[in-house]
Parts: sequence; structure tokens; C-alpha cells
Amino acid sequence: MTPAKQLARLCAADALAVGEMRRFELDGAPPIALYRLADGFHATADTCTHARASLTEGDLEGDEIVCPVHFGTFHVPSGRALCFPVTEDLHVYPVHLADGDVHVELS
Amino acid sequence: MSLPPPAALVDVERGTVDRRIFWERELYERELERIFARCWLFVAHESQLPEPGSFLTTTMGEDNVIVARGRDGVIRAFLNSCPHRGNRVCHAERGTARGFVCNYHGWSFGLDGALRGMHESGAYERTPGFDPAEHGLLQVAQIDAYKGFVFATFDAEAPPLADYLGDFRWYLDILLDNDDGGTEFVGGCIRSVIACNWKVAAENFAGDALHAGWTHDSGARAMGGASVPTLDGQESYQVNVNGHCWEFNLDLVGNAATFGDKRVTKNLRVREQELAERLGPLRARMIGAISSATVFPNMSFLPGQQTFRTWQPKGPHHTQLDTWVLVNRSLSDELKEAYRKGVMMTFSPSGVFEMDDGENWEYSTRSNAGVVTRAQKLHYGLGLDSRIEHPELKGNVFRSQLNDANARAFYARWTQLLEADSWAQVNDR
Repeated sequence: MTPAKQLARLCAADALAVGEMRRFELDGAPPIALYRLADGFHATADTCTHARASLTEGDLEGDEIVCPVHFGTFHVPSGRALCFPVTEDLHVYPVHLADGDVHVELS
Repeated sequence: MSLPPPAALVDVERGTVDRRIFWERELYERELERIFARCWLFVAHESQLPEPGSFLTTTMGEDNVIVARGRDGVIRAFLNSCPHRGNRVCHAERGTARGFVCNYHGWSFGLDGALRGMHESGAYERTPGFDPAEHGLLQVAQIDAYKGFVFATFDAEAPPLADYLGDFRWYLDILLDNDDGGTEFVGGCIRSVIACNWKVAAENFAGDALHAGWTHDSGARAMGGASVPTLDGQESYQVNVNGHCWEFNLDLVGNAATFGDKRVTKNLRVREQELAERLGPLRARMIGAISSATVFPNMSFLPGQQTFRTWQPKGPHHTQLDTWVLVNRSLSDELKEAYRKGVMMTFSPSGVFEMDDGENWEYSTRSNAGVVTRAQKLHYGLGLDSRIEHPELKGNVFRSQLNDANARAFYARWTQLLEADSWAQVNDR
């Protein structure tokens, strides 16, 4: 038996334009970064895996997010750590669109 | 050995200068504190920082600084030294960056110089009283711009830039504001080191027209096909304001002609009427004339050749020369290239005129290693009776560009600043 998916609504889909990102703080979960890329919405943990920085304060360049502190870079769709000093991948949250809203899957 | 006070080393009334001002480490250290850490210094042209993230590194005295345009578009300047262990945080001369991260422990600073984090930041978060806001890169006390030229000072008590430049702005406008489109630096920075005291170079540009026809005779004949004309008897002037100095002829194209490029001189001749309407006929004739200038203490330029440079002190016996080429933004690409090449041919380290000067300045400094040599005062008495009133020219005006008047004014300002404990004791002059 698989556990039930826990979905959390983040925002309306038209709240973000392509190339934009936003940080969300939900009860009982670490901060989440939502990105709207050319191919649609993606969500990852917002806290850099190197130290404590909020990635949504960094630069979104194409499908890569650059940490504002040491410029460590992650591939947004996969969460993969791409360069020093980041070595640990970002947690990626599956995204669902329903009724014009963006939801993420927490578990 | 103890040195006499600075005021006893320079006698502007009789026109003598003690050679020790070009040699002694003790005086040099005082210059760093009382001139370079106090005066407004040129740090950048706005065109060098075209977009958010653009930065360059330079020096103010021997203090290395980063000048950067922030994400908000504002240009700031701060020390290029990490407040943690002091390491240099930016090793590039210029570029575009997201911020600056120290190689040593990963302390990271934004384009505004603020501390944004470090490696193992969790350990700092548990340290009582640690406030990142208190540990950014040290900002200059004031930064401001005059018509594209960005200046900064480490002294919060320094007068506003507009007052520091004073009426010298009226002269600067000849080159910075002769066209609606404004100016830009074209090409990069030409950097070299000359084994001379920084003042030897600064005073040359402040007011040494005398050397032109002698030092540069062969270069002038090679480039322009003729010797520098005899200047004695021509209508020419030296002017100075607050130690900022400009010596000039009214021959429109004398300096520009040294490129040996008729496109450059023709452009000035064609523009003379337009320039006269904008600047008045007298300033229009200064646009490319035989002339030179220094903004106190260490930025100099040559109208006509359009080379702008700083003399960066590197100890009492060495000077780093950074050279750029200033052009009007609206100038054609062909003429911009003509100026860029012209400066390379004349006033780069291999340029025909710069080589002449470097040799002289190095021996003018090096000779003072001799204790007997050093005891003989130098003569700065040319034109002691040449001060005049002029109906149009601003500042202190002297008849004839063949004159030591500007050098005396430069050293009078130097003396005043070295003697003063603060800006409150420094008068406009």
C-alpha cells in the first residue's frame, strides 16, 4: 500500500511569468522554491545544500539556479548539483496543475 | 634624521622645492594618509561600468578598491580586502560578476559590498553577537560623479566633489561636455610602471610646456613632420584652482596634430564654430591645443590626444601609470579607432612621447638617492611675476604656458594638505 500523496497549493498558475521564481513557506515543511521555466513549473527545496542561503535570492538562468552566496549551481528540473561548492543535490517536489493553481507533492 | 615640516620644503614665493619630497619614505607615508586617504580620487568612467554587475578594481593611494555597479544601478566603491583575514577578494582588473567571494574561507560579498554568507555559516550563526551587517567590505566615505567621471574619497569630511573641483569644472567641460552625447572610454586600460615618484609625473602634466619642444622634438618631427613650435611670445596661459592645473595654448589642434592623422585634426577644425557656440570662442580653441592638465592629486590628461591617466603611487620611487582614451560617444567608429591607435602610438609605454618622458622622470627621481645631490634645492621659479587678471578665464591665471606657476600651485596644495590635520584647515585656493 502506498502512502497518500499530500498536495499543497502554492499559488495561481498565472502568478509567475516564465523566468520567475518565488519562495513559499508551508507549515511542517522546509521552504520551497517554485520556478516557472519555458517548459512549465518546477519546485525544489529553497535552501542551498551547501550552507543556509535562500536560492530564490539568487539568479535563475535558463534551467539553472545560482546560489546568491557562493554561486553554487543546481539544475532545476532534476535538482542536480552542478559545481563547487555544492555537492549534494536539491530535493525536487513534483508539481501538479489543477484548476489554474500550482500544487506541490510534499510526500 | 628628522625632516623639516612640509611647509619648509616648498617655497612658492621664491620658487624652490626640496628634493627630499621625491625620495623620503616618511613623507610618502604622510602623502598616503593626508592626500590619498583624504582627497577625491578618480576611480572610473561610468562607461567602464555599463550594466548591473559591471566592476573594476583600482587603487586609491595604495588601498586596492573594487568599483561596482549594483543590481540597483548604483555605483559603489569598497576595499578589496576581506574583513575576516584581509585577503584580496577580487583578482580581476574588470568584468561582470554576481558578487565577490574570498578564496580563503568563502566569505561572500554582494555587488554592494555587504556580507552575504560564508562557508560553514551555521557555525557563525551560533556565535553570540555576530552580525553580518557589521562585516561587509569597507565602503569609501563618499562617491560622486562629474559628467561621467566617478570620484571617491575615504574622508567623510572632504568637501562635496563639486566644491573640491570648484571652478576647474569650467575647464573640464571643454572635454567632458562639448557634445550632447557625453563621453566614454574606448578600448581598455594601458598599464605600466615607471620608476619615478608620482609627483614628478603629476607636476609635468600640471604645467610643464617647457619640456615639450625639447624632450619631444624628435617624436614631434617623426609624428607630425615638424618640431613643436616655439611657445614663447604666443598667447598662452597657466590656470589653477585648488591645486588642479591646466596649461594651454589657443592653437586648437597642436596636441591633436601629434597623431599625424589628418582625420583627427580636420574633425576639430570642422567643429570649431559649433564648439565656439557651446563653450565660447576661447574655450573652443583649447579643445585640442598644445596643453596638459592634472586634477589634484593624480589624474592627468592631454586635450587633443585625449589620453586620460592616473599616477598610482607604489612606494616613493615607483608609479603605476593607468592610461585610457576618452572620446565623445557620438564620434564615428572610424574616429574612435583613430584616437585609440593615436594614443597607442604616442602615449602608451611604447609610444614615442611617453618613452621620452619616462627616461627623464626616472632619472629625476633616481638622482636623489645621492645625499649630496638631495641637499640641493630645485628651481621652480619660472614666471614668478606672471600672475594676471583675465576677463574670462577662471581661477588663478598666469600669462604664458612657459611657466612654473602651476607646479608651484600644485606643491602649495600638497603642502597645505600635508600640514592640515583635517579638511577644516584646508582653504580653497
